[in-house]
Amino acid sequence: MSSTAIAPILRIENIHKSFGKTRVLTGFSLTVQPQEVVVLVGPSGSGKSTLLRCINLLSPPDSGRIWLEEQEITAPGVNPDKVRQRIGMVFQDFNLFNHLTALGNVMIGLMKVRKMPKKEAHDLAMFELERVGLVDRAYHYPAQLSGGQKQRVAIARALGMDPHIMLFDEPTSALDPELTGEVLEVMQQLAREGMTMIVVSHEMGFARQVASRVVFMEGGVVVEEGPPAQMFEQPLHERTRAFLRKISDMDSGGR
Amino acid sequence: MEFFQNLVTTFNFILQGVWVTIGVTAVALAVGLVFGVTMAMARVYGNPFLQTVAAIYSVIVRAVPVVVIIFILFFVIARFVNLSPFWAGSLALGFASGAYQSEIFRGAFRAVPPGQMIAARAIGMSKLQAIQSIILPQAARLALPAWGNEATLVLKDSTLVFVVGVPEILRRAQQVSARTLEPFLAFSVAMLLYLVLTLLTTQILQWFERRYRLQM
Amino acid sequence: MKKQIRMWMLLIAALLALSACTAVQPTGQQPGAASAEGSGKLAQIKAAGKIVVGTSADYPPYESIDADGNFVGFDMDLIRAIGERLGVEVEIVDMPFDSLIAAVQEGKIDAVIAAMQATAERDEKVDFTIPYRMTKDAFAAAQDSTLVMEKPEDAAGHSIGVQTGTVQERWVQDNLVATGLTPADLVFSYERADQAALDVANGRIELLLMDAEPAMELAKQTGLKILLITESTAEGGKSIAIPEGADDLKAELDRIIQEMLDDGTIQKIQEAHGLP
Repeated sequence: MSSTAIAPILRIENIHKSFGKTRVLTGFSLTVQPQEVVVLVGPSGSGKSTLLRCINLLSPPDSGRIWLEEQEITAPGVNPDKVRQRIGMVFQDFNLFNHLTALGNVMIGLMKVRKMPKKEAHDLAMFELERVGLVDRAYHYPAQLSGGQKQRVAIARALGMDPHIMLFDEPTSALDPELTGEVLEVMQQLAREGMTMIVVSHEMGFARQVASRVVFMEGGVVVEEGPPAQMFEQPLHERTRAFLRKISDMDSGGR
Repeated sequence: MEFFQNLVTTFNFILQGVWVTIGVTAVALAVGLVFGVTMAMARVYGNPFLQTVAAIYSVIVRAVPVVVIIFILFFVIARFVNLSPFWAGSLALGFASGAYQSEIFRGAFRAVPPGQMIAARAIGMSKLQAIQSIILPQAARLALPAWGNEATLVLKDSTLVFVVGVPEILRRAQQVSARTLEPFLAFSVAMLLYLVLTLLTTQILQWFERRYRLQM
Repeated sequence: MKKQIRMWMLLIAALLALSACTAVQPTGQQPGAASAEGSGKLAQIKAAGKIVVGTSADYPPYESIDADGNFVGFDMDLIRAIGERLGVEVEIVDMPFDSLIAAVQEGKIDAVIAAMQATAERDEKVDFTIPYRMTKDAFAAAQDSTLVMEKPEDAAGHSIGVQTGTVQERWVQDNLVATGLTPADLVFSYERADQAALDVANGRIELLLMDAEPAMELAKQTGLKILLITESTAEGGKSIAIPEGADDLKAELDRIIQEMLDDGTIQKIQEAHGLP
């Protein structure tokens, strides 16, 4: 709201989402500016993953509106496939295509969705793999890669689509602790390059260093948001304080 | 000497049926593959109407003996389209095999982790693109062992087309044994040829299985 | 609601398709008969320039396939000769015997020639020409028998074996026993014809009456001699089956067959294939 000069890249307005009788999102609103890194935290079941899936229309909201770069993507007649090309998504359990090599995983979207010729797709895919430091694993199948490598391939796959914004759904929580570093490093580098990112993560170190904003959500709505320093040092709400203390303890306890 | 003469005559005569058997089996498997994959897609990814159509096809066709389907196609459909015995027989076998193959592929589609579809949609693939480029290649690999089994069953079912007069191995064995009055010899040769064909099919499919094994 | 209606329509369509399989033997409308109204089956065949004839090529010497894949046998030569007189080409297709009636009913073939007898059951589904070859019976006796037979009644007074429940048994009962020509205790009914043949060979009975073709085969194996081959003790014959209601075709085929019976053509073909 403060910076009216630049148009927000993403605007979420009062969205609701239920699965059967379970109300997951209950009037969630958020605005994200270009090049912002928003870290979403909150207890499990607070609707973080559902929110990400609403944003890229994998499971569209029941009500409320979402704008991506001034276009209302929740409007009728919008082709969700076209919207998703502009939104990169990285999953907790990687979801690499099992029958394709690392290179193939990055190439297939380029060829099928962006309709690139094979040669061009190959070169761009190699470039993306280089960005995540995995050129030497290009011809390995997912089963031959470590968890951290898989997640970096998944990031390269998303980057290949040239997204305008990236969503990360707990990208390191399926990883052994010693493998999280390589993935966070890649994400940090992306942030430096100016990628707009929404990250669901409890990696507090990452949030402190990289986030431009930390959003605490619970019960399907935003409880409190602010710059990491403020959120970690002097949160306004008691709930925020308690939650952040808990995961900070876990964080340090884990190392 | 006379036995040897008979053996050569019988073998040469039945051998000409091998190509017919291979042709019928190949057409039936190909037709069954198209039907099976389409119906499996309809059942797993289709809307309720398509799901119902595919389920009814599968249930009915699997409940009816293949011979009956062959007769329907040859005699009843023949009122509208003039199908040769070869095509009526092969298509009917394929139509029947499609129901079994749809069950195989349904299982295979279900065995592909759901995250594969979500990830494919997330990079902007349409549902059809995702099925084509991501789900199908993986399902095909998962289906291969069961599909190989179905292939040998269709090979053996190909004997059934003899009822509409397709001169495959079995019918030729009948014909030659009627002439030489050596049914044991004729059917032994037929058995041998089926054995060779089945072993060959199995070997080829096992090679494919090894080549395209999917690691998850 | 709409979805449900669609589902039901589909189910009904599926059931119809299923019921069609029982319609392989329909009693009513024949495609051949329907089109015969306009032009007639015979006219159709002449227009096409060929007649498609089904057979089951596993029954020598009537029909079989030689090593080169040609259809050979008595029926095959006969149908080709008939085709010549019809002035059309003959295309022969092979099918298992049990599929032939259905094939002619559904119009897949124009006729069947397969050593087929016009039984009442078959006659309900297709029409038959007059027989082109009557069933024949044979009287056989031991090799050293001095008996001479010129007609069936010459068997009077001699012990005779027949197979139980056959037309031959009935003929013996009706024409020899009932007329008093042969005492009832000289007629022996056997379960199987080869048992009777053995008893004839061993001299336990004098005569054997049975189907001519297996009789000739049995005679060869057990060393009997054939005294007489006759049509008058037998019933029925082998006919060509054609679609029901194809009256013009039946008339023409009947005429040709009669002609060939009269001028000895059929006799010649029979002899060429070693048939009695």
